[in-house]
Amino acid sequence: MRTILTALSVAAAFAAGPAMAQAYPNKPITMIVPFAAGGPTDVIARIAADNMSKTLGQQIVIENVAGAGGTTGSTRTAQSVPDGYTIMMGHMGTHGAAPALYPNLKYDPTKDFEPIGMVAGTPILIVAKKTFPAKDLKEFLAKAKADGDKINEAHAGIGSVSHTTCLLLNAQAGLKPTQVPYKGTGPALNDLVSGQVDFMCDQIVNLVEQIKGGNIKAYAIATPERSPALPDVPTTKEAGLPEYQVSAWNAMFAPKGTPKDITAKLNDALQKALADENTRKRLLELGAVLPDKAGQTQDALGTFVGQEVARWTPVIKASGAVGQ
Amino acid sequence: MSQSSQPGEESASKRGTQDIAAGLFLLAVAASAVFHALELPLGSLRAMGPGMLPMSLAVLLGALGIGVLVIGLLQPGDPFEKWSFRGLAFVLGSIIVFALTVRLFGLIVAGPLSMIIAGMADPQTNWKHTLIFAVILTAFSILLFKVALRLPIPIINFM
Amino acid sequence: MEQLIDNLALGFGTALSLKNLALCFLGCMVGTLIGVLPGVGPIATIAMLLPITFGIDPTGALIMLAGIYYGAQYGGSTTAILVNIPGEATSVVTVLDGHQMARQGRAGVALGIAAIGSFIAGCVATVVIAALGEPLTKLAMLFGPAEYFSLMVMGLVFAVVLARGSLPKAIAMIVLGLLLSTVGTDLETGQERLTFGVAELSDGVDFAVLAMGIFGFAEIIRNLENPEARDVVRGKIGPLLPSWADFKQSIAPIARGTGLGAILGILPGNGAVLGPFASYTLEKKIAKDPSRFGRGAIEGVAGPEAANNAGAQTAFIPLLTLGIPPNAVMALMVGAMTIHGIIPGPQVVTKNPQLFWGMIASMWIGNLMLLIINLPLVGLWVRLLKVPYSLLYPAILLFCCIGIYSINNSTSDVLFTAFFGLVGYALIKFGYEPAPLLLGFVLGKLMEEKLRQALILSRGSFMTFVERPVSAGLLLVAAVMLAIALLPSIRKSRDEVFTE
Repeated sequence: MRTILTALSVAAAFAAGPAMAQAYPNKPITMIVPFAAGGPTDVIARIAADNMSKTLGQQIVIENVAGAGGTTGSTRTAQSVPDGYTIMMGHMGTHGAAPALYPNLKYDPTKDFEPIGMVAGTPILIVAKKTFPAKDLKEFLAKAKADGDKINEAHAGIGSVSHTTCLLLNAQAGLKPTQVPYKGTGPALNDLVSGQVDFMCDQIVNLVEQIKGGNIKAYAIATPERSPALPDVPTTKEAGLPEYQVSAWNAMFAPKGTPKDITAKLNDALQKALADENTRKRLLELGAVLPDKAGQTQDALGTFVGQEVARWTPVIKASGAVGQ
Repeated sequence: MSQSSQPGEESASKRGTQDIAAGLFLLAVAASAVFHALELPLGSLRAMGPGMLPMSLAVLLGALGIGVLVIGLLQPGDPFEKWSFRGLAFVLGSIIVFALTVRLFGLIVAGPLSMIIAGMADPQTNWKHTLIFAVILTAFSILLFKVALRLPIPIINFM
Repeated sequence: MEQLIDNLALGFGTALSLKNLALCFLGCMVGTLIGVLPGVGPIATIAMLLPITFGIDPTGALIMLAGIYYGAQYGGSTTAILVNIPGEATSVVTVLDGHQMARQGRAGVALGIAAIGSFIAGCVATVVIAALGEPLTKLAMLFGPAEYFSLMVMGLVFAVVLARGSLPKAIAMIVLGLLLSTVGTDLETGQERLTFGVAELSDGVDFAVLAMGIFGFAEIIRNLENPEARDVVRGKIGPLLPSWADFKQSIAPIARGTGLGAILGILPGNGAVLGPFASYTLEKKIAKDPSRFGRGAIEGVAGPEAANNAGAQTAFIPLLTLGIPPNAVMALMVGAMTIHGIIPGPQVVTKNPQLFWGMIASMWIGNLMLLIINLPLVGLWVRLLKVPYSLLYPAILLFCCIGIYSINNSTSDVLFTAFFGLVGYALIKFGYEPAPLLLGFVLGKLMEEKLRQALILSRGSFMTFVERPVSAGLLLVAAVMLAIALLPSIRKSRDEVFTE
């Protein structure tokens, strides 16, 4: 069915050929966000799309296509007509961890997309319940290692950012906690605040207010530099686990075959958005880390996706986790 | 649902054919669930696997199915009602046609088409009214869903 | 106390500005509209309207979005009463007696009492949030996975205790609902379960898809086969507003419903869904003549509607005081706040008192507005029922299709509703009631998740459910209710809770 539909819509696109000769874009652009509305990726997508719409002179309409850890929306993008009117906000999960997590994945993050550009990364923090008996990361790791599976790690579901990033932590620090799966960050965080579970890893935007309010404690942030949102939280490098460097990045992609001049135009609009003071401010308030000029190019994203797939595959395969 | 039993009429002396069918229905559902849950590891009560709950619920459902079946066999009850295939076919058909056409052609085709097919379900349909209404309602939905609520639903999408 | 008054004064000062009043009104209007449309939930709409709020200050934006949320709760009851389609889990109960009232020419009364009940509940809930928000947060913190599981068990016992018709058939529907809730990806291992190889089922069945198929579409097909009974109101429309006698009959159920809903709404993980069910069960249990329930008992509309609205509002407590969203709509509100540069959390109250108290004050104002918007609309809605059924049902079908499509922009969801329409029709023909199935489905999703989390945390020991006092208490209540139900003398007075 899918293929027939795709074939028909490709035919439709050819029939619409003359219209496409007009300057791109001449109608609203759909940006697929493969997660539910209101989550970190959705928020970042909406902030970026808001400014890009102004540059492009056409509205970018967000379409949330959630499901199967973001792979449903990514599959739909990969299979849509490459005319520049369907693009997506990809993410560490959909374009990094997914190939290892989903054996039947219907797309290849490195081959089925044209990179548009990196939008923002949100750093990962290691946090624990406020009564956890460790004052810094070293003590935490020592205690967690000694306790083995007596310690409980919460995550937001198989394949979620909190799941995969903690897998990496566990592999690098040699931890073997009991994993308690939740459906989403909200319930997991709820049980961390009330002390039912011991620790978790997640994106800064989900945690920052809980840390500031003293409901949970943060041991380290997995970026090279401290975050202005949480200046008191040391980096993993300072705290003694320098190899743990991870952020939940969000980047825009178009389906394979989208004309080069169109992706270049979109990249240009994105770069303008990332240079816009108001947009920058709003993204930084989320605790996001914005790419530098070199990191904003299409090529930089293409290379980065390849590195991410290569990095996540062994970690996830070793853990035996399967998403679907 | 309004109870279909009409006291004093035909139903009293007969077997509960409705319950018999109802029990068989549950058994069929349960059997298919058991079949599909077989491939899932059960785990143990202490460490439940993915199959534990589906399997135990399916078995429980099967047991209830047998219970309902036995009640139907032993006690008088409601008779099995006739199915209306006309309503079933066209109402469900209109939904399916909507699903298949909305992304392909857009609401402008899917809307009237599904309403016309739905109209066939009812022998009392006044076609003139239904056609006019289908056009008006589609226009209204476009204004409402696309223009006012800004839902990303395709409107015109064909060659 | 004095501080509370100061805070409320600040709140009303903020909310009563002309701009915020206008935004609140707009939100309530849009909310009512989308609530009435079957399937188009607040989630899709709030998500779509987010960019529009970029230009507004955060307080105004949140006041508007909150208006959409509780406006949708109001609107949802309208659809439930008029066309027998519950838009979300919380209006399943309203369908039972509300639609029967409509069939008896009392649609106006049902809609009116729903609006008034919701208003009263909303007023009380606003005060509860303002006065007790922070201490109540601690209550929510007592609930870990074990307590949550026990609460769900109690919910299931509600259904079993009061369902009769044919007890095995009611239990079978609950079990079928539980079974349906296990469809999808396994929480712990990520394996697909009972998806029959359909990739679109990997996230399970959506509630709206199931409810619309089983209630809405099945009902349409059934109506088509008996032309005499199908026009919801033939002839007289009946009174448009509840009489004084109706009101007197409803006030106690409204009070009880408000209390139940307010408490359950605070619990994390969407405890609000239990509110209307609990209220309906309670009203039926204490009624002098329980057999009226399911045949248009006004208490069966008033109580659950109050519980629904109270719960919808107290669900803001964990969001505002903890920054942790208890359900999907609240998760979206978190997104809305973050977009506006306010990250919800324990510090919102102190850092943004204007926003916090302004929003609380706007809730009360919003409820008043909803009453003002909805009472005059009752006449319009009821007149809608005069449209000949041969025109009405294709229109309902179209709106349902668009609504279901827009939940996830997915055509497979629309196909699934057609399938569940078939299932629902079969269930009617086999003499099964759909309401227990939906209750089982709603509870099942949380139940398995919480059961397995609790067992992981206790390392496999079932003792965790009785060792923890809150959990043990809930299980005790469930056990007592079950025991009472099984005593033969009381059994006689039991009646079907889920008779439509």
